[in-house]
Amino acid sequence: MSTHAEFREVARDVLRDEHAQNALATGTARLREGRLRAWASADDIEALRERGRAIRTATIRDLDRHLDTFAAAVTARGGVIHRTSTAAEAAEAVVGICRTAGARLVGKSKSMATEEIRLNQALEAAGLEVVETDLGEYLMQMRGEHPQHIVVPAIRLTRDDAAEALGVAPDMEELMRTARQRLHEVFRTADVAVTGANFAVAETGSICLVTNEGNADLLTALPRMHVVVLGMERLVPTLAELAPLLRLLASSATGERLTTYTTLITGPRRTGEIDGPEELHVVVIDNGRSALRDTRYAEMLNCIRCGACLNVCPVYRKTGGQAYSDIYSGPMGAVLVPLLSRLERSHDLPHASSLCGACTEACPVGIPLPELLLDLRRDLVERGVASRVERIAFTVWSYAWSFTVGYRLTTTLARLGRRLAPLVGPGRVWSRGRELPTFARRRFRDRR
Amino acid sequence: MRVQLFATCLGDLFFPEAVADAELLLEKAECDVVFPRVQTCCGQPAYNAGHRSAARRVARTFERAFARDAPVVVPSGSCATMLSRHVPDLLGCEPWDVWELSAFLGVHGGALPQPNSGRTVAYHDSCHMLRELGISDPPRRLLVRSGAEVRDLPRPDLCCGFGGTFSIRQPEVSTAMADDKLSGAAEVDALVSADPGCLMHLRARAARTGGARVVHLATALARGVDAR
Repeated sequence: MSTHAEFREVARDVLRDEHAQNALATGTARLREGRLRAWASADDIEALRERGRAIRTATIRDLDRHLDTFAAAVTARGGVIHRTSTAAEAAEAVVGICRTAGARLVGKSKSMATEEIRLNQALEAAGLEVVETDLGEYLMQMRGEHPQHIVVPAIRLTRDDAAEALGVAPDMEELMRTARQRLHEVFRTADVAVTGANFAVAETGSICLVTNEGNADLLTALPRMHVVVLGMERLVPTLAELAPLLRLLASSATGERLTTYTTLITGPRRTGEIDGPEELHVVVIDNGRSALRDTRYAEMLNCIRCGACLNVCPVYRKTGGQAYSDIYSGPMGAVLVPLLSRLERSHDLPHASSLCGACTEACPVGIPLPELLLDLRRDLVERGVASRVERIAFTVWSYAWSFTVGYRLTTTLARLGRRLAPLVGPGRVWSRGRELPTFARRRFRDRR
Repeated sequence: MRVQLFATCLGDLFFPEAVADAELLLEKAECDVVFPRVQTCCGQPAYNAGHRSAARRVARTFERAFARDAPVVVPSGSCATMLSRHVPDLLGCEPWDVWELSAFLGVHGGALPQPNSGRTVAYHDSCHMLRELGISDPPRRLLVRSGAEVRDLPRPDLCCGFGGTFSIRQPEVSTAMADDKLSGAAEVDALVSADPGCLMHLRARAARTGGARVVHLATALARGVDAR
């Protein structure tokens, strides 16, 4: 998965960009308020969250069985299942399907799973043209950028930015007309539709897609082939269990009772039907997920990708998505990216949080994100990824402060050496934007 | 009632007046305050940075210093959280009866002085105190009882950006978060915090940028937000 650039470096650029700061503050606040309103108006929200958590936990616990049921149901309805283990394998599988079909143009509906397997790059490398059909994602694609938010990819863009990306005047009507024209052309002419899946229902073999633009519906109705990239943990055993999860997703993501377009796709077009693809392929991606099931981090697989944790995160609010990774961002990204890639490659993500706990409070299925971050930080230390200097410093500190004499000695030395502190290490970093705190002349303990 | 006072390392080293004010408030509440002398730190800095064995080593000083037969009162929301939520698991020991100062005073406190008449303040919720201990009303009620008019911050849910080592690992994001917090308090006489970590960070940033006055809750209650 992603090698992400230095978090701090990217964050610094975003902080200097006043335009981005305003867009992030406004965008996250609007989504947060939407969720809070939706939650407040549902009198059973706490019961619903508990039910959602229970469904997710039980599903993940028995995932192999649900996957088998799902695969059998898809096959029985004429679909084709492709089980893959790595991201590269998954991307190859999709490329292979498109090649076999002799496809030239691939239309896509917004999907974080396809970002995760870097599908666009793989398809383009194979000579295919790929066009995103979610408006925000399309704008990001035009700008050559990755999504900044798992639900609202273009959260940092304003109307003017959008107009610039499309090459039209910054007029809402004009903008929408242009986007509609271009995207409708894609719906009409694409050979293959690639979508993700918000959920997949095991008992019926259905793919559930939710959008607010209806792009997934048009996209999956017209092209002759539909390829679904499905994260293996997106499964829901039954339709009855899908309902509460859809309510949780809609209310937590955008503050709606139900997302505007909520679609269930079961198998390819059947005889007598007037639309839908001739072929339906489901590429199931593992990419590190199954290895998490028996670990302390299994709960991360409960995530329903609503983005609520991003919208309340005071760090994400300042940095936007790019600082975290090309794919997932915010608190869920800070946990998931290190788990799906290698900890070594994303070692500053577990530390990209002040551990304020706003995320877990907003999480519809109650994933204890700060605790998972704490445990990832522990892993960084225990696996020797944390720097040697840091490990030595904490060890020396802990021995010194194990006894009052050591505590007194080190803090007296620190007080005497305070004038040197702005020159070295943490003191230097701290004092670039803040005054150094002053040691009291006498500690509290010395005054008694 | 006998209570044990945990000064916390930041309180002991940087804010001894605030700890003394906490002691004063406890004495006014007719508590017999003892200060176990072998205390140092709860281990939170290391724990939050992932250094569990270092955290354990330091947390043992707490275990040696504090008895379980009397409440432990802590003038710090995050240390109170560390002690009640993490230390017993970390050491595999029995829990203590840990109280954050304002929660304790809310239940056991007596009459308060009214040094803040005519003063407007905003209260900054420290994250762990708010979300893990669920303490948000007691400090506000105490401030009102001290004569202050308490105004809401624009986004009381947002962290001030301290976050222990976070303030060093991501200094730019950390100070930007502090700026948002401080600018929300531009119209009040003081921003009051019950957490020495937030206090240290916000004060340090305000000193650099000329931002709001930041005062520890214990000082605000004992001597008023104007106290030096």
